[in-house]
Amino acid sequence: MGGAVGTGDKKSVNVDLNIVPFIDLMSCLTAFLLVTAVWVTIAQLDIQPKGRNRNPDQMVDETEKIVLSILIQKERIWVGQSRINEFVPIDRVGDGESAWAQLTTTLTDIKASTFFAERSDLELAAESLNDENKVIYQDIVRAMDISKGIGFTDVGLTDRDSLTAKPTL
Amino acid sequence: MPVKVAGPRIYSSIKFAHLAHGANLTHRASNLYINVTPLVDLMTVLVTFLLMVFSASGQILQAAKGLELPVAAQQAELQEAPIVMVTSQGISVIIQDQHSSMPQTKDVATIASLLENPPPTMMIDSLLETLKSSAENIKNAIAPLKQDGKGGKGYTKDQILACQREDDKLPAVIKGGVKIICPDGLAIVQADKLTDARIINMVVNTARQAGFEKLLFAVKYQATK
Repeated sequence: MGGAVGTGDKKSVNVDLNIVPFIDLMSCLTAFLLVTAVWVTIAQLDIQPKGRNRNPDQMVDETEKIVLSILIQKERIWVGQSRINEFVPIDRVGDGESAWAQLTTTLTDIKASTFFAERSDLELAAESLNDENKVIYQDIVRAMDISKGIGFTDVGLTDRDSLTAKPTL
Repeated sequence: MPVKVAGPRIYSSIKFAHLAHGANLTHRASNLYINVTPLVDLMTVLVTFLLMVFSASGQILQAAKGLELPVAAQQAELQEAPIVMVTSQGISVIIQDQHSSMPQTKDVATIASLLENPPPTMMIDSLLETLKSSAENIKNAIAPLKQDGKGGKGYTKDQILACQREDDKLPAVIKGGVKIICPDGLAIVQADKLTDARIINMVVNTARQAGFEKLLFAVKYQATK
């Protein structure tokens, strides 16, 4: 790459650019960024300020309409409708995939009913009692994901005591 | 067969004229040039691409020990907002200060202490304080922009428009298939998939009390089979 400076030849003035360090730097930087770059697509699930919370000033009057509620427990998923006071228990056995499939079916049937055909809101709560009866965040996300996929895009996350319809155990 | 001294004369026995030429036989310099220009070009483009990917998502995809996002099939592009990060160890808040290019991270609580002594109000006081001040800063920053209807201070015009429509109780702005949510009252929860639901309930309840009514859960997108 060019001649050298100070060769004694007065006519040629060539400058050597040593790009070996540059290539070294680029190689290290590329390797570092390839390792640290997160090759996943990050998405979002939004929750609505629905459902009652513990602040009595913000209680929502839900007596006028039927509210669809989902309660996730370690052993069971409850799907209930207020006013009707009807609860469908879905047992979580094995790896739990059958329970999620049954939840999908149940919500699909409810969505097809007259009361919820035009509705897109539901309440969701997860009851985690202790380390032995723990409900994890992935379960909440899974339930939200299923709900939004069926058409219940307005998911309100709350705690068990704030559910409009909660099963009495 | 006579014994010959090994050396560059090895080329003289191989019929590669372009290699043998100048192998100390003709006393000419034989330099082999490797054209590194394509390599440099490739490296530069690759590094630029990776830097863009890294910097664009660096604020959201902060690597943290004990944080693996849950998986979901619903796909909606994540919007920038204050982040409440919940790892297996603790809870921290990441806030992008408008006067600084680097986000600030503040640790607020540990998971073990919260599970051992859960607050009776289901609110994390240290998280509440941090989020309250952040919510107030965002509200104060957006209020003058809403009057003008223009973007600024890190907020786009579409975001300000979304705020105006929210105040008027109009449907949300959808641009390019993505719903634009007003940054006022918006926060992201980035939690490990194995986080106890009690912690999630506490975080959600605290965020609501602090003024963040709209919460986004960061998830890893996975298409359904």
